[in-house]
Order: sequence, then structure tokens, then C-alpha cells
Amino acid sequence: MTRKLVGIVDYGAGNIASVTRSLKKTGYRCFASRNPAELDKASVLVLPGVGAFPSAMQALHGCGLVGYLQESVQGGRSLVGICLGMQLLGDFSEEIAPTAGLGFVPGRVVRIRDARWHIGWNALETSGRASFLAESDGRSVYFNHSYVLETSPEYVVAVARLGEALAPFPVAVQRGNIFGLQFHPEKSQSAGLRILSDVLAEAHHAG
Amino acid sequence: MLGKRLVGVITVKDGWAVQSFGFGRYLPLGRAEILADNLDRWGADEVLILCIDRGAAGPDLALLRRVAAKGLSTPLIYGGGIRSVEDAVAVVASGADRVAVDTLLRDDPAIVPGIEAALGAQAVIAALPLGIDGDALVSFDYRTRTRAPLAEATLALLRAGSISEVLAMDHVNDGGAAFDERIVDLFPVPEVPLIAFGGLRDPDQIRRVLGRPSVRAAAVGNSLSYGENRIRQLKSKLGALPIRVPSYHRWIDQ
Repeated sequence: MTRKLVGIVDYGAGNIASVTRSLKKTGYRCFASRNPAELDKASVLVLPGVGAFPSAMQALHGCGLVGYLQESVQGGRSLVGICLGMQLLGDFSEEIAPTAGLGFVPGRVVRIRDARWHIGWNALETSGRASFLAESDGRSVYFNHSYVLETSPEYVVAVARLGEALAPFPVAVQRGNIFGLQFHPEKSQSAGLRILSDVLAEAHHAG
Repeated sequence: MLGKRLVGVITVKDGWAVQSFGFGRYLPLGRAEILADNLDRWGADEVLILCIDRGAAGPDLALLRRVAAKGLSTPLIYGGGIRSVEDAVAVVASGADRVAVDTLLRDDPAIVPGIEAALGAQAVIAALPLGIDGDALVSFDYRTRTRAPLAEATLALLRAGSISEVLAMDHVNDGGAAFDERIVDLFPVPEVPLIAFGGLRDPDQIRRVLGRPSVRAAAVGNSLSYGENRIRQLKSKLGALPIRVPSYHRWIDQ
């Protein structure tokens, strides 16, 4: 039996406790660490994130994890970015000060159009291309952000919009073994746990 | 489409959850973590914990850890005793998703942009005790029990986008039967979304207040403690508002 173990990247910019408890609710064994030797034991890595992009990238660099994550992903291991963690997957962010990201998903992080914030529960509109979202079209999940990762449509697997007549923006992406969720599945009650469970199953399959 | 939210509020004093009446008289309810667990099960859209007596003691991180240990899957806002960027970061690291600041806005508003830089403005809420004097909106200071116009420094932070939402607390009607809707009418920075709080218990008024464009959320405290499943019951009475379906529907169809 293949051992499935989820490693949560703890670089000081995420709500690690909530992510850990939610992962355990989905049945996965998991641990949080910033030690590459420990993280090497994980079959899938989860990159949570709360806060501003520059602080988060500074923290990742400070922990010496940028190169480690790049090597892990290039080696085929799956990575799931949550909330700010999804934005960190991009090339570049305009938040506060121009800052380079991890560069796993081509695109840049820009301010949301049409509003200053996207805070609260909003419905997912899925593209139909990602099996991990197959059961989640129309489900409401919790968002709390003011910037979004703008990327090529080929990587976008779900969008949301601030109003029926307003333009959609990406809220979930997939590029091979790289997954990103702009919302907080760990704080989206039953709908979020379902997505978390499904994306981890897909990530284990892809990695 | 982005929904309006129903926020369950837990007021904490001396380490215990209390019913608050005008933020001057209190009745004990029990342990805050138990109430938070209830609100999570009942499908609240957010849970707000307000520790009203922390002052120089700083945020109640032990309480946050007890709440986090319950494994809530509902977003958590915490307010009380946040005096620095480090306090705010510690609050989030202990399990909160957003922080509410009140006294800090009066004592040291220059710290707020630092919290914005660390956590993002989407995580920062201004908790403003408000009231009406004549036909003017005024801010209430609990420490001095005085009222004054909203401080320019607070207004500047709101206009600059350092704060994402305002918890508009009707301090006169807290624990009462009706929120003073003139607070919404007179709020001077209309581009900042409001969370209405204080006196909201009647479903008709909650529906009316949530129907206002600038109000993104209604926060309800005392009346949620009067029975089981109060969030679900309340949501079922809010009619056609764009509000999330109570979570138990989701459990049934999964």
C-alpha cells in the first residue's frame, strides 16, 4: 500500500492549525514543518497562506523553502496552494510592492476588478475540466482576498464573480501536479471539506 | 454571486461568554469555545469573538487555541487586546482568520498599516461603537464613556483601504430590540462595507438591514443563545436575500 502523507509547509504565514485539523477530518495523515528533510516524507505538499504576498514570499525565502519547493515540483511531487498559497504559485504580484512568486503557474497577481475586496461566501463556477471539482459546481465557499492570480484560461478550473453581470475571475487552477484554491476550503464547512478531500485525492494521483 | 453573511457574535468578559446589554450590563452564558462550536454546527457564515476587557493584557490567545482545538470549519474573527502587529499576527497564528481592532484605532492608528502589510487589509476590521446624537453619527469611547465624531485618523485608514470592513456597533441598542438604521445612513465612508451589530434580533429588521447595499453582514449576539439551531432558523426567515443556504441542506445532498 502506498503511504499517503500530506506535508503542510509551515513558513509562518498561514493558519496552520485550521488546515491541519481540516486535513485530518478528510482522513489524511498530515504534519506541518519547514524542514526540507521532514517535508521530503510527504507524498503531497500543501502551501497555505494568509496575509500579503511580499511578506509571504519573504518568509518562504527566509525559511530557505523557495528552491526546495521548485525542486519538489519539478521532481513530480504535487503541490496544493490555498488562498494566498495559490497566488504564490504565480510569476509575479503587484500587491504592495512588485514581488516575484514561485513561477509554477504562468500569470501575475493583480487587484480584483469591480471591488476592493472579495470577502464572504460565493459560488464556484467550475470549468468541468478538473475532476476534483466535479461535485462542487455551484457550491458556496469562503473567500477572503483582494488580489487574484490572472493566468491563461487553460489553467483555470473554476471562477467566481462579484455580481451576475460582472466579469469572472480565477479561483481555482491546475497545471499538471500543481493545484491552487483561492478560497479557504478549511473554513468552508462541508462544501470545503469535500473539495479538500477531492483535491488531495487528485493530487496523489497526479504526483 | 457573493452572498450576504450572518455572523454569530460571542462576547467574552473575564474569560466567560456573556450576554451584553449596552456593553454595560452582563449575564453569563458559559464557555466561549462551546458557543463557537454551536455556531459552527448551526451554519453561521462567520463567528466573531469579542473579548471586551483585554486592554493591556493583550489578545486572549489561550481562548483562541481552545476554540481552534474544536476544529471549527467556520471563518473566525477575533477582537480584543490587539495592540501591535505582533499581536495581530499571533491572533491569526492561533486560529483566527481576521482581526477586529477598536482601541488601537484610538491609541495608535499608525500601527494599522503595519497589520495590513502583514495580514492583508482583507483581514483587518474596524470595530466602531457608534451612536446618533441629534442627526449626527458619533463614536463612543468605552473607557471615558464619552461620544465624539469619528476620528480623522480612522476615516483616513478607511479611505486608504487599510481596513476592509467596519463592524458598526450600535452601542445604545446592544442587547436591545432594534438596531438604529440611521448608523448605516450616516456612515461617512460608503465604499467600506459594514457589518451591522447591536440590537439585531428581529428577522424583519435583519432582512431589511442586509438588503442595504453597503451592509455586507449582520452580526447577531444574545438572541442566538435562546435556543438550538438559531442560525438555521434565522436564515430560513430571511426570504430571498442572497444568503448562503443553511449548511444542513448541503449535508443532506452530499
